[in-house]
Amino acid sequence: MKKSLYETDEAIVDGIRNDDNRALAHLYKLYFPMISHFILNNNGTEDEAKDIYQEGVIVFYEKIRDNSLELTCQIKTYLYSVCRRLWLKKLAEKGRYMVKVEDSDNFLGLEEDIPRHEENERQFNVMADALSQLGEPCRSLLEDYYFRTQNMQDITEKFGYTNTDTAKNQKYKCLQRLKKIFFAAYKPEV
Amino acid sequence: MFNYGIYGQIERYLSGGMAAEEKAAFEALINTDLRLAEKVREHEQLLKAMHQYGQRKSLKQQLNRIHAEMEAEAEPIKVTATPAPWQVFWKRHAQTVAVAASVSLLSVFGTLWSVQQLKAPVRQQTARYIELRREMEKIKQEQRAIIKGISNAEAAAVAPRPARFSGTGFAVSADGYIVTSSHVTEGADSVLIENKAGLKYKVKEVYRSQEHDLSILKVDDPSFGGFGKLPYTFKTNPSDLGERVYTLGYPREDIVFGEGSLSSASGFEGDTTSYQISIPLNPGNSGGPLLDDKGNIIGVISGKQAGQEGAAFAVKSAYLLQMITDMPAATANMLPLTLPKSNALAGNSRTQQLKKMKDYVFVVKVYN
Repeated sequence: MKKSLYETDEAIVDGIRNDDNRALAHLYKLYFPMISHFILNNNGTEDEAKDIYQEGVIVFYEKIRDNSLELTCQIKTYLYSVCRRLWLKKLAEKGRYMVKVEDSDNFLGLEEDIPRHEENERQFNVMADALSQLGEPCRSLLEDYYFRTQNMQDITEKFGYTNTDTAKNQKYKCLQRLKKIFFAAYKPEV
Repeated sequence: MFNYGIYGQIERYLSGGMAAEEKAAFEALINTDLRLAEKVREHEQLLKAMHQYGQRKSLKQQLNRIHAEMEAEAEPIKVTATPAPWQVFWKRHAQTVAVAASVSLLSVFGTLWSVQQLKAPVRQQTARYIELRREMEKIKQEQRAIIKGISNAEAAAVAPRPARFSGTGFAVSADGYIVTSSHVTEGADSVLIENKAGLKYKVKEVYRSQEHDLSILKVDDPSFGGFGKLPYTFKTNPSDLGERVYTLGYPREDIVFGEGSLSSASGFEGDTTSYQISIPLNPGNSGGPLLDDKGNIIGVISGKQAGQEGAAFAVKSAYLLQMITDMPAATANMLPLTLPKSNALAGNSRTQQLKKMKDYVFVVKVYN
């Protein structure tokens, strides 16, 4: 039942657009063996395969969520191409200049997607750094408010502030500091 | 505080939570206040980054969860499939190892091969030497076989047809005596002779000497009136080495001339009763006369050595003569043969000699 639900690529894309976790899970499980095989055959380990594949899935996922994906080929090919690019880059970073990679499939150039993904990745890393530098309780506070979108009342209670205004002020203070740290490290290239 | 207050405003502005007139007022404020505009822009970017960060983080968590779930599903299989360290190592280096192995294999076998190649000529020489020895052995065997063949009179000198053999014979006296090899007439029921001129006589074997491979036949025909005067004589002394000799015979239905020299004073395996001659001979030549330049019969063709070039043998005429003298004593009521005394061939050219001779050389046809 579950499988037949996402038989086609369109069904998977629609599922992800509609925030269906099962679609994502299905997609993930469907193509992991292929990428894992590719990475393992090209001097990679299981863990590296997992990392690369997750990155590839993220690229795909974000493209769908942006509605910027024009799927001109199969998802399989797209994922393979992305992961291939990422893995080549990783190999180059590791200092192993593999001139030849064993391809089991055709692949796309992806001239646009990868740079954009790298930019996002950089931003993501800077933000992660900034947040970890921020320290507690600022970090949890910001995460609760902005990521988990808890309301100010809950946050006030959780962190033991006297009222929501104190909490808000605290939040803005934290935000101010985060801003400083973030923009110190991150200069948008656009 | 103003600072934090303005953040609240900015956030509300960005999230679109402002009422229309408040928004307009705020936008106007942004347009006039550059610092505020910068702050708004920065804040927007920060929020966006944070938003993305949050999204991506949750996505990653989700993916990790899926992965863990997937691994959990595959766990039962994975227990056995967990790659041992050596398997990982092998997977990584299999290609390199394969290349190294093939290179070493190639070089090992290449070296072996080239060493073999270098050795080959040396080995060939030894092989040739061994073979040479073996050939000697073989020749000995063949010689024995031939001797056996000669004495058993089943030799190569007889015609191939099983019920009918043929050889060569020649007249020894004008009154109807013919000599041939005894192996030609071996096991014969009836024997016929025929010469180039078409004369055909029935003959009977009157005497044979197995040891010298000779046989005397006598024409047994009422109409026979004698051969006439024989043109050749018999030589009693041994002939010299290198003497030019020739023979006439019937290796096929027509008479064939063969010429060569006397190449050895002894015959097969040092047999002193015969000569070795270098005349190419074929089955059917057996029993033919061997003559020297002066037209003396010096021997009777008997056989050749297989696998050896130019080694044919002929029984010396001295033994033929001895046999002829022995014959009357051994055979009852028989007169001694009158051998030809004068030689009509000496001094003639070879073609003249042959012309005179050829009527006295017969094909001996053996029926059984």
